[in-house]
Amino acid sequence: MNTDFINQIGLNHYLILAALLFTMGMAGVLLRRNVIVLLMSIELMLNSVNLTFVAFSKYLGLLDGHIIVFFVMTIAAAEAAVGLALAVTIFKRFREVNIRFFEHLKG
Amino acid sequence: MTADAFLFWFLAIVTLGSGLSVILLSNPIYSALSLAMTMVGISALFVTLNAYFIAGVQLIVYAGAVMVLFVMVIMLFDLKSDTVAFAKGKFTGALKVASVGLLAGLVVAAIDLSKGLIGVKDGENHLVALGDMEATKSLGRILFQKYVFGFEALGVLLLVIAVGAVSLARSKGGTHEH
Amino acid sequence: MNHSLLMALVILSPLIGFLINGFRYKRHSANVAGVIATIAIAISFVSSAILVTDLIAMPEESRRIAVKFFEWLVIDRLKIDAGFVVDQISAVMILIITGVGTLIHMYSIGYMHHDKGAAKYFAYLNLFIFNMLLLVLGDSLLVMFVGWEGVGLCSYLLIGFWFTDSEKAAAGMKAFITNRVGDAAFLLGMFLLFVTYGTLNFSELNALAPTVAESSWLGAVTLGTLFLFIGATGKSAQIPLYVWLPDAMAGPTPVSALIHAATMVTAGVYMIVRLNPLFIMAPNTMMVIAIIGAATVVFAATIGMTQWDIKKILAYSTVSQLGYMFLACGVGAFGAAMFHLMTHAFFKALMFLGSGSVIHAMHEEQDVRKMGGLKKYLPITHITFFLGWLAIIGMPPFAGFFSKDEILAYTFNSPMGSPILWAAGVLGATLTAFYMTRLMALTFWGKSRVSKDVHPHESPALMTIPLITLGVLSVIGGWIGVPHVLGEYLGHIPNVWEHWLHPLIKGIPGWQTLDHATEFALMGTSVGLALISAGIAYHFYVKAPDAPKKIAEKIKPIYNLVYNKYFVDEVYFGAIINPLVNLSRNIWYYIDVNFIDKMTYLAGDLARGMGSVIRSSQTGNVQQYAMYIGIGVVVALSFVIMR
Repeated sequence: MNTDFINQIGLNHYLILAALLFTMGMAGVLLRRNVIVLLMSIELMLNSVNLTFVAFSKYLGLLDGHIIVFFVMTIAAAEAAVGLALAVTIFKRFREVNIRFFEHLKG
Repeated sequence: MTADAFLFWFLAIVTLGSGLSVILLSNPIYSALSLAMTMVGISALFVTLNAYFIAGVQLIVYAGAVMVLFVMVIMLFDLKSDTVAFAKGKFTGALKVASVGLLAGLVVAAIDLSKGLIGVKDGENHLVALGDMEATKSLGRILFQKYVFGFEALGVLLLVIAVGAVSLARSKGGTHEH
Repeated sequence: MNHSLLMALVILSPLIGFLINGFRYKRHSANVAGVIATIAIAISFVSSAILVTDLIAMPEESRRIAVKFFEWLVIDRLKIDAGFVVDQISAVMILIITGVGTLIHMYSIGYMHHDKGAAKYFAYLNLFIFNMLLLVLGDSLLVMFVGWEGVGLCSYLLIGFWFTDSEKAAAGMKAFITNRVGDAAFLLGMFLLFVTYGTLNFSELNALAPTVAESSWLGAVTLGTLFLFIGATGKSAQIPLYVWLPDAMAGPTPVSALIHAATMVTAGVYMIVRLNPLFIMAPNTMMVIAIIGAATVVFAATIGMTQWDIKKILAYSTVSQLGYMFLACGVGAFGAAMFHLMTHAFFKALMFLGSGSVIHAMHEEQDVRKMGGLKKYLPITHITFFLGWLAIIGMPPFAGFFSKDEILAYTFNSPMGSPILWAAGVLGATLTAFYMTRLMALTFWGKSRVSKDVHPHESPALMTIPLITLGVLSVIGGWIGVPHVLGEYLGHIPNVWEHWLHPLIKGIPGWQTLDHATEFALMGTSVGLALISAGIAYHFYVKAPDAPKKIAEKIKPIYNLVYNKYFVDEVYFGAIINPLVNLSRNIWYYIDVNFIDKMTYLAGDLARGMGSVIRSSQTGNVQQYAMYIGIGVVVALSFVIMR
């Protein structure tokens, strides 16, 4: 059995880990009904992307990846604030935070 | 197994496990706690990548501020665990799961395929040369020189978001008649 | 004073009067509006009089005051100025229009006293005078056409002035639509003349007129003048487009006097006289004009004999008298046509205003069967009406005699005329004498048939002064055109009229002077016949009131035919209007509704159908949208990997 995969931790390990986290987040976005859990799943996806940035940054020797991570975090915090504000208004109106209350834009 | 490898595997399992519980647990407060766990795990992974400053920010911003926000909102709403946690759908649900799985497979395959394209070999560590403080210093230098415009734009964005979030939360909810 | 300033005053003061009354028509009472309107026309009249005085002072050969205000249109070859001309012909017209117009405005103050919309009425009346002045003063066909359309519009507005009565509103529309038929032909004539001569200016057109008469029917001059003449039949109520004029009597009576007797209906005659050098070179057109004129004379006169409505009788009389003018034009006697136009304006305006006075006194009663013996209640109206009657039946020395006998003499003698046309003219005169005497007898003479609860009273001075003025004009108006024969015997009275118009009227080719004996014989015949028929009518309607009924019984079919106006309206409805309406309705239904509308609906339905197919994807479900993104990423990634 080739133990390199287990012993030699490299870029691919991080990338695959990030990809799995990302798909988890995406599954959460697609499947959950609670708006707050939905927002958490989005945070999960953003975090997995951050992980790839940092990993690339290390293995390519460039600090720019860290800067992008920095920006993504800011955006994520902002997005969480707006998303939660929306959830608050929805909750105020319907006393529930189900995603189906966002369906007013139906064609 | 080296200490590095062990650390990585340990953190990977913790992160994936808590990530899974975020989307599988039906009580939102548990999901939030799992997410906090995931954040901490990712922060630790940043440390293994020598990104100490980012790891700290991750802990402060995510595990601190954002998670507090989530938990506070959940408690404010006094949410019980969802009776039906997952969105219903006759075939869309299956389609969603399938597309997620397919995406996971494709991403892994893509990473595998692109192994040769990225000009680095596994195990080489380029940032090792820089000391901890050196890395943070140069990070600040890049941020305030090369990316200063983006930085300022983000500042404006945050202001707008703060105002927008407050006005949204104050509104009666929606433009439609009650 | 400066000529262009005077010209501007003549034309613009009615327009200003119109604007003042038009903008404040809800506030001005009949008196205020009437005074404003009358002053506006009076200013115009005084300015016209000064202009004409200046014109007379000019040397005979160059009598012409032309004023160009600005260049109106320049389109390639077409150059039209806002230019106005006072010459011998238009001088007469503007004096008639503004002079008679002033009198009628004055009369209207009394007549419209109780009407709520009086200010609107005066505004329309002023607008009419403005357009009529444009028509006669314009130096080109296009400027004339502007006025031509304008007077048509005002005529429509005034006929339908009491539009709450749907019959009156319909009469207005009928006048307008019938006029449009003529106007279309007028336009065609204008196009043809422009294409042929490259100008629409009257003096240029007249100068370019061919020197040799055009014998073909399809020549440019013949066709152009024919089209213009059809336009004239519309405006001047000749066969076949006369049908609107009797209905036009629905308007207020002063309007009938001004528009439908004195001024607008003579526009066609004026236009032909204006272009006489052109018309005389188209003998075929002239023949058509003469025949139509003569036919109209007799045709309208017969209908007039059977009508009971005082205004309808006068309306048919107007049609008949206009026929005389066209007859005169048709035989080349343009001067005589203008002369009759003028005298007719005096006595017919007088008779209409007189009838208005009668109607006013009778409390809106127009049926002569309910009148009679009004002589003693309405002395002034009676005397003035009597003068008008003498003038229209052609008693010497009243105005109508001179003009009508000049026309008849020309018709008899002109190479373009013929004894048959003359006979028609004399027949018309005889019939005119009959129905006019009948009108007099039924209205003013004989026993009173007025119902008990109507108390006739003489009209106020505002209404009688115009009557008296026009009465005087009807008496003396003819003396400016005394025929040569009479002039010689009565101590060398010159024919001022002929002399005045001479520079602008082309002589009739092949004209030979008539010997005195024949001319006297002609006069004697028509006057004698008119006297006899007037006598018969007097006998019938005053001495033996039962006789007409008996005669009508005996010739019942003919009487009914004439009484129903030869069923012309019915024929028009059956042959032209209804088929056209049906055709339009069918086109509307089958082409517009069933084809064009459906096509547009089809386009709309197509878009909507396609939209509804795609719409189902817009569920509003955010997660579904996210799934689409996911599927998109999967497809894109697999494309990258499988490549």
